[in-house]
Amino acid sequence: MLHRDRIPLLWVFLQAVLVVALGFSDMETGPGGAGVSVQQPNGDRFKIEGRAVVPGVKTQDWVSSARIFVEGEEFVGFVRTDGSFAVNDVPSGSYVVEVITPNYRFEPVRVDITSKGKMRARLVNYIKTSEVIRQPYPLQIRANGPQTYFMKRETWGWTDFLMNPMVMMMVLPLLIIVLLPKVVNTNDPEMRKEMEQSMNMLNPNPELPDVSELMTKLFSGGSKPSTKAITSKGTRPAVKRR
Amino acid sequence: MAKLIWLCLNFVILCSTVGAVFEDQVGKFDWRQQYVGKVLFSNFDAQSQSSKKVIVATENNVFASLNIRTGELFWRHVDAIGPEGKIDALLHHGQDALLVVGDGRLLRSWEINIGGLNWEIVLDSGSFQSACLIGQQDIVKHVAVLKKTAISLHYLSNGHQKWIENLPESETVDYQSVYSGGNGEVYVLGIVPHSHIAIVVYSLDDGEIIRQFSVEAPWLSNIQASCAVIGEGMLTCADSATVSLYMLDLESQTEMSQIPLQSLGLEVTPGFQPVLRSTQPNAARPPLSEFFLQVGPEQHLLLQLNDGQIVTLRDFNPALLVSFATTGEKTIAAVMSPKNTTACSVNLFSAETGRRLLDTTLIFPLDPNGGKPEELYVQAFLKKDDSVGYRIMVQTEDHTLTFIQQPGRVMWTREEALSDVVTMEMVDLPLTGTQAELEGEFGKKAAIQDGLFSMVLKRLSSQLILLQAWISHLWKLFYDARKPRSQVKNEVTIENLSRDEFNLQKMMVMVTASGKLFGIDSKTGTIVWRHYLDNIPANAAFKLMVQRTTAHFPHPPQCTLLIKDKDTGLATLHVFNPIFGKKSHVTPPAMPQPILQSLMLPVMDQDYAKVLLLVDDQYKVSAFPSTKNVLQQLQEIASTIFFYLVDSSQGRLSGYRLRTDLSTELIWEVVVPTEVQKIVSVKGKRPNEHVHSQGRVMGDRSVLYKYLNPNLLAVVTESTDTHPERSFMGILLIDGVTGRIIHEAVQRKAKGPVHIVHSENWVVYEYWSTKSRRNEFSVIELYEGTELYNSTVFSSLDRPHAPQVLQQSYIFPSSISTMEATLTEKGITSRHLLIGLPSGGILSLPKMFLDPRRPEIVTEQSREENLIPYAPELLIRSEWFINYNQTVTRVRGIYTAPSGLESTCLVVAYGLDIYQTRVYPSKQFDVLKDDYDYMLISSVLLALFFATMISKRLAEVKLLNRAWR
Repeated sequence: MLHRDRIPLLWVFLQAVLVVALGFSDMETGPGGAGVSVQQPNGDRFKIEGRAVVPGVKTQDWVSSARIFVEGEEFVGFVRTDGSFAVNDVPSGSYVVEVITPNYRFEPVRVDITSKGKMRARLVNYIKTSEVIRQPYPLQIRANGPQTYFMKRETWGWTDFLMNPMVMMMVLPLLIIVLLPKVVNTNDPEMRKEMEQSMNMLNPNPELPDVSELMTKLFSGGSKPSTKAITSKGTRPAVKRR
Repeated sequence: MAKLIWLCLNFVILCSTVGAVFEDQVGKFDWRQQYVGKVLFSNFDAQSQSSKKVIVATENNVFASLNIRTGELFWRHVDAIGPEGKIDALLHHGQDALLVVGDGRLLRSWEINIGGLNWEIVLDSGSFQSACLIGQQDIVKHVAVLKKTAISLHYLSNGHQKWIENLPESETVDYQSVYSGGNGEVYVLGIVPHSHIAIVVYSLDDGEIIRQFSVEAPWLSNIQASCAVIGEGMLTCADSATVSLYMLDLESQTEMSQIPLQSLGLEVTPGFQPVLRSTQPNAARPPLSEFFLQVGPEQHLLLQLNDGQIVTLRDFNPALLVSFATTGEKTIAAVMSPKNTTACSVNLFSAETGRRLLDTTLIFPLDPNGGKPEELYVQAFLKKDDSVGYRIMVQTEDHTLTFIQQPGRVMWTREEALSDVVTMEMVDLPLTGTQAELEGEFGKKAAIQDGLFSMVLKRLSSQLILLQAWISHLWKLFYDARKPRSQVKNEVTIENLSRDEFNLQKMMVMVTASGKLFGIDSKTGTIVWRHYLDNIPANAAFKLMVQRTTAHFPHPPQCTLLIKDKDTGLATLHVFNPIFGKKSHVTPPAMPQPILQSLMLPVMDQDYAKVLLLVDDQYKVSAFPSTKNVLQQLQEIASTIFFYLVDSSQGRLSGYRLRTDLSTELIWEVVVPTEVQKIVSVKGKRPNEHVHSQGRVMGDRSVLYKYLNPNLLAVVTESTDTHPERSFMGILLIDGVTGRIIHEAVQRKAKGPVHIVHSENWVVYEYWSTKSRRNEFSVIELYEGTELYNSTVFSSLDRPHAPQVLQQSYIFPSSISTMEATLTEKGITSRHLLIGLPSGGILSLPKMFLDPRRPEIVTEQSREENLIPYAPELLIRSEWFINYNQTVTRVRGIYTAPSGLESTCLVVAYGLDIYQTRVYPSKQFDVLKDDYDYMLISSVLLALFFATMISKRLAEVKLLNRAWR
């Protein structure tokens, strides 16, 4: 759990660093020099723009299957060969912008456009809809990994088999039954007496053996039988304590 | 924190119970077919000889690249639905394809090799007229876009605007066409209908008007339909009234010269508007001086303009379609002419001389169940010996694309009609002959009278037949095993189609908007039959019903398709066999009156066909089939047949009862005031749905009984006021027999589109919350309480107590396209909701999450009931997508059908693509898992066996030793 918590945090941090870095590099090269960064208010229609990145994958391998959805399928944009995108002709309002690809997972971003064309990007929060956690604009959307569509098959191995509680349950008593008589000298009359005593304690009513209770007593934890094995072969006071 | 951990734990437990796809199951029982739609524009990638691409732009706002060897998609771009994404023009230049989208709203340039966007620019407002590539000195660098009032020129490399000029007198002149011959001038051709042609010539460099003149042409009404530029700037127009061609030299003349076709020795079919077709292989050069003139529906002429004189090169009569194609410096003309009733032949002719090229005949087979050819696309290429070879792509009326290579080998066909499936049904496959024989042994009444001896004989013979079939199956297996794997093909044909053990393979009958019907094998996706219905009205509504299943052996299965013209309400019936696709011999009744409602009764006639009732606008009912037997049965049960009609324009819902003379009487009426709200949809329950458990066991061991009313209707209304503060949606639960309103709920600050699923005792609907700008799910469940009023039979007329209504709402983090619930044979398996998302994923959401009894505070009892604590947001986990990365673009409908296995539900999602799979909402509890470890179990058994043997032996030895002691 803790481990899981830490990873996203790390991710966010990394992402932030990378985003900052990307932002700077963008400033240097300029987005293609195409004058795309200039806001073109077309009547009262605006343009949402940004860049999508899949780390470690060439853009040409994924852009042909990518689309940008603004508020579901209401406005659709496409990704340029360099990974940047622009969705034109969007009226003012608040929209959820998503990068849709079948193979990579992108987080959606909410973009607010005022009636004057001012843009703001923030994290999507459907529960607290008015909460604002700013995101960079123009959008910088990074894929956080490939989509995991598949469940892992349970593979079978010897260790899994041995660590299975059912198997443990069967093997450990077997060991006790086989090994105990060898370890403990059964010919010693004192010992025999003591063992009988302990048997009686385990089975208070020999005519009605309560199996389920016995089971729960014995095997509520995997380690108990082993402790019992140790204690029963150990010293006398240990047995008495039970 | 403890609560959170508990939540997480619960979640983990639940996730493990929810089925997902395993990686090794990919493609095992699922398949996807991707479509593009009816082709509007198509271009072959001609930049290199070995190119194997054809780019298409379609009516469905799709721009795609197809592999010409296989017909598969290289890539596909799906734009927004509706006029915003409509593709107006496709221009192709080298590596780039230019698209004008959304009535001239956007200009996009695509890189066609990888399918990435080069650039996209917003064009100035104004409705789009025409676009063309502009070249100069053999280099094409610009594209011109003509709008209603302005013309703009853009660079091909980055889309920047070079210049934009307003068109003079654009209020009166209708500018329609733009043309450039590669000499640095851009001609804009406009028209004042029935008066004159206006021509404006712009300079390519700075957009200055070089020349502007007008030419008298009182006979002309549309340039694009009847004119073409031929040769060195010769505008040629055809006029049907005077049966002549008019020619105008755009560079010098100001007067049109008339050339009567009769002077050329040509005739035009009366009433036919002649069509000109020219070709401009290179945008930097003027068009060729050869052109086609179509003078009749099946007559084309290849003409040449030679020093101002028109020469007839060749007369093609009959010719269905003609097309030009260019490769290298050679331009050829391809002509398709009818050969016989089953095929057409295509021939190549040299465009310059009109001579037929040798060995270029190609046969195009006509599908008797398809439409006529509509468009011919030709890809020409130079062979090694410098002769011209070619391939053709033919589009037919039923939206089929066929790609053919010489001498007539069909490389592939694409049934693009399937991009627009309207409705579908799944029909069980018939039994094989041997299976039917076995069944017949018990079914026939005569068999019982035959006596014991013949029964035994029959049993023996049928067992023999089975043995024979089994041996032949084994033999085939053995025979196939020796062949290399690539040669073994399990082709699906009508002959070897038969029901499998668990009825997992079915026939999908799909009805498309174009009027083409398909029969698709659900296991492989192979199209088994197709049938094109012509004369389907453009805005038809379809309803497909299965009248007789395959269960009644000697009688063939029967499906009925009701086709209704939405404007007039007039309907026709098409009755067919769903397995073979053949039209049935049964003649459907003629229906002169508009049809309001149709309903399928569970009553069967003597041939086991279910009875279809049709209600016309006079509220008279007619039955199909209407034999004496049926009418008699109807008279008997008429008083128990109720039906409802919806009139959304007047907001009226009304219930009727059938009288014995097949007239009707009004029983109830609910009016929803149309000024305030309108009825959006009315949903009943599916007739083939089974509910296994009557109630739910609560934590305190009492039973909460479900309110299972089979006549319940869920009516969704939306407010006419769309203002976000005042809009609302309402849901009404009405009993369809009595008209009693069981429940009514209003969701304020909500708007559609509303998606709804109604099943068992619950209704799930989804809407858009305008207040919080998010999608929300709401679930209503109905319960009778802890006691059942009448546990044996449900009657709408005798239920005095109103049910308990529970409701809960959740946030859903995505909009949805469509929604359906899973369906299984007996209804024991838990239910899932299948939700089609705009991203193309199909989410399988357990109904468990949409349970209005989810508690906010966890108690011992709720834990015992396995209720998940309430959380406002429903999560979308990518493991829940049943179609992994096989996305279904623009999913419009999801169809679910039960299979023979209780655990398994068959799912078909259709939209632009079609995807078929199986889902196991409660995992495969009745089949051994795919990964069942046979090795382990057999090795354990063997080991145990040997262990007992050894220990037995050891025990014997020990006993013996003891005896010796």
